[in-house]
Amino acid sequence: MANYDPSFAREVFQNVDFGEEIKMCMQCGVCAASCPLSTEMDYPPRQVFTLIRAGKREEVLNCNSIMLCTSCYTCKVRCPRKIPVVDVMHGLAHYALKQGFVPRRQPAVFGREFWAQVYKLGRIDEKDLPRRYFFSEGLVAGIKGTLDFMDVGLRMLLHKRMKLLPERKIKGIQSLRKMLDKAERMGKGGAGA
Amino acid sequence: MDKTTGVYICTGCGIGDALELDPLKELVSDEYGISICKDHPFLCGKEGVELIKGDVEGEGVNTIVIAACSGRVNYDVFDFGPDKIVERVNLREQVAWCQPPNEEDTQMLAEDYLRMGCAKANDTEPPVPFQAEEEYSKDILVVGGGIAGMTAALDTAKAGYRAVLVEKEAGLGGFLAKMKKRITMPYKELTDTGADALIQAVEEHPNIQVYTSSTVEKISGGPGLFSVEIKTENGSASERVGAVIQATGWVPYDASKLEHLGYGKFKNVLTNVEMEQMAAAGKIKRPSDGKDAKSVLFVQCAGSRDPEHLPYCSSVCCLVSLKQATYLKEQDPEAVSYILYKDMRTLGQAEDFYRKAQNDGNIFIRGSVMQVGESGDKLFVEAEDELLGEKVRLEELDLVVLATGLVPASKPEVTPMIKAPADAEDADEDGMIEVLPDSGFFANSALNLEYRQGPELPTLKYGFPDSHFICFPYETRRTGIYSAGCIRRPMETAKALDDAAGAAMKAIQCAEATAKGIAVHPRAGDMSFPEFNMQRCTQCKRCTEECPFGAINEDEKANPLPNPTRCRRCGVCMGACPERIISFKNYSVGMIGNMLKAIHVPEEDEEKPRIVAFVCENDAYPALDMAGIKRMNWSPYVRFIPVRCLGSINLVWVADSLSRGIDGLLFMGCRHGDDYQCHFIKGSELANTRLSKVSETLDRLALESERVKFVEVGITDYYKIPEIISEFMETIDEVGPNPYKGW
Repeated sequence: MANYDPSFAREVFQNVDFGEEIKMCMQCGVCAASCPLSTEMDYPPRQVFTLIRAGKREEVLNCNSIMLCTSCYTCKVRCPRKIPVVDVMHGLAHYALKQGFVPRRQPAVFGREFWAQVYKLGRIDEKDLPRRYFFSEGLVAGIKGTLDFMDVGLRMLLHKRMKLLPERKIKGIQSLRKMLDKAERMGKGGAGA
Repeated sequence: MDKTTGVYICTGCGIGDALELDPLKELVSDEYGISICKDHPFLCGKEGVELIKGDVEGEGVNTIVIAACSGRVNYDVFDFGPDKIVERVNLREQVAWCQPPNEEDTQMLAEDYLRMGCAKANDTEPPVPFQAEEEYSKDILVVGGGIAGMTAALDTAKAGYRAVLVEKEAGLGGFLAKMKKRITMPYKELTDTGADALIQAVEEHPNIQVYTSSTVEKISGGPGLFSVEIKTENGSASERVGAVIQATGWVPYDASKLEHLGYGKFKNVLTNVEMEQMAAAGKIKRPSDGKDAKSVLFVQCAGSRDPEHLPYCSSVCCLVSLKQATYLKEQDPEAVSYILYKDMRTLGQAEDFYRKAQNDGNIFIRGSVMQVGESGDKLFVEAEDELLGEKVRLEELDLVVLATGLVPASKPEVTPMIKAPADAEDADEDGMIEVLPDSGFFANSALNLEYRQGPELPTLKYGFPDSHFICFPYETRRTGIYSAGCIRRPMETAKALDDAAGAAMKAIQCAEATAKGIAVHPRAGDMSFPEFNMQRCTQCKRCTEECPFGAINEDEKANPLPNPTRCRRCGVCMGACPERIISFKNYSVGMIGNMLKAIHVPEEDEEKPRIVAFVCENDAYPALDMAGIKRMNWSPYVRFIPVRCLGSINLVWVADSLSRGIDGLLFMGCRHGDDYQCHFIKGSELANTRLSKVSETLDRLALESERVKFVEVGITDYYKIPEIISEFMETIDEVGPNPYKGW
């Protein structure tokens, strides 16, 4: 039996971007019904908010829901209480990473690799990024992931969407890095932070 | 009255294209000896109306039969003054628009309708409004001095009528005066109750007579003529009033029945009413030790929406808890309120206050209580959290507030018993049986009416005085007595104000109309009223028992004592009377009998059956018109006869029709039962009961009971009309022709 503990809700209200908006949730479930990824999530957005109210810190900050949000904005548009659900989800994701919660193989990993590559090359290497992502969970998972995507890769080669040789750095990579550095200093830290 | 009748046939709107005029005109002069019969292609136009007016002036026509469109339209165009009789024959919606043109059957249908119209006009007398010998009063009595009662009295007085306000407590104000704050438009913040200002305005108004510490001892008479005896603190008073508003309000649901929620077991478990009184008195404290409350849990639907307790939603408890949570936040911003709800129901704009309460940081939990308990000096609640999908425990609670519902003041705690009739099944050992809510003997004492059918307003199943609150708000089953506020249905203060104004307007309308001798509702403006031929009365009591409005009292010999101002002119008494001694100037058993006789019944070998359908004017007849407007088709063998209410159908009409060779009878009336739609509440139910006993008549005539059928037709059921009729025609086909044809 769970105890209701308002202290985590207070923590969220104070520390998470848009966290205080959760107060207005009336649990209608429109966000859950609208979310294209809710079937993949541990908890749909509505339930994430319930868990916060009930004080379930571990469940919330560990769940994949906050990481899976693709920013399609359907929930934010539809919410009858005008809660910016997308922003709350991102806010929670940042907060979870900041608090040292390690995301499982999830968009967070993908985001981190994506960011690293953009920083390094100024572009994405279509071979290197999936490789790093698939192999982040070990050799077996890496091979399986690669095989699963083989036909996609072959078709990309056929349509000249992917080169066999490694990608080179863009021109003026230094200027881009300066911009990215500044953006990172201004923001509260993205998925790669 | 000496009648000079004129018949006017309109040939517009497709009537002229569908029918042959000459046979119709011949019928009028040959069968009814009416010499004035004219046609016009646009009778409701200026020229057409002038044609009729010319005859009224030139030829002295005072009875006008208009064979044109439905009587439900153009009634203002064909109004030639109250001393002229106007009878409408519906050749448009129910002949030309629903039957194939220029066919023999269509022509026969039109001819029958014209015959029936002439027969009806022949029997109609212009009604003379009822005028009592005593002087009419237009004062309004308001019983109950809460927010609804005070506002009703004040609105009455502001409209220029004298109001008499009777309150049983020593001071006015009711629950309003006991509240700390209220939530009302625009539902953003708490507002002052305004009780003091309202009480002062009522007490100071020169046109309001206030009796406090008083009760109504007796109300006798009828609308316009009520005489009221009031028992005051140290004596008595009497008043004469025209109409009555009952605003006796509500009582909280008895929380001692909610022991499973800890009430009575733990000191710190309160009801919302106790919480309100504590907040109004000052601070919100723990009753056990007087310390300030820091953590409060509100249990919504405490005993509400629960078949064991109150089955209905009281609609205000959610707002009340939000209000009380706001008191707590104002007292201590650090304090926490949990609201444990089934569904948050904040109606209309009140949703804004729900938003405010959410924004204040109150915690809302959807679920139901499993246990309330005490650990140390704090309470805990275990609940099933539906949204979390698990059991939760809320600890360290200072107070648990039970949001109990509203019970109408009219609902008795113990259902009164009466002596059961001999054939009753549910009677106890002493032969007593529980009174039904829709009896006048059910409700708690408030009005003490001197009515044969009981001293109080009949109520619906939960004890609220009857009122069809969508179609006819404020109306009760007693003419001239209106209900307002929480006695009518549970409501918040803003709605009570609307209710009070509405009921006051209704009461004034009633007093005014009654003084003119005309009906109020739903036959507004009707001048006719039932007349009793007392020489032939057999004291059978059917009229006094069946009148849905308790209009007829009884003397000790069981003679009916009609009160015409209480009457709604439905004719249920006329339908009930086995001796057929009750009639209206323009509606009687004989008149409909003559209309039935006017129907031409073809011989059996012609294979043209005849069906008579008695149709309720209020819902089924408009549905028929609607079906006509939509150009739906049905059998040309059916003749519709509109009746004021199916309850006014006298069974002699069944015998009359069948003995003349009519093959079947269809009764089209309103839905009855718990969610009745009958404008006269019991009319269609009574008709159904009477018809179920009609087999006796049929047996006597050696006929099949399938020949008589009752169907419920709502105003929106127009699309079912062709199906209803064709189904019935099939039945009649199976049963075969009426053997009495041609007798």
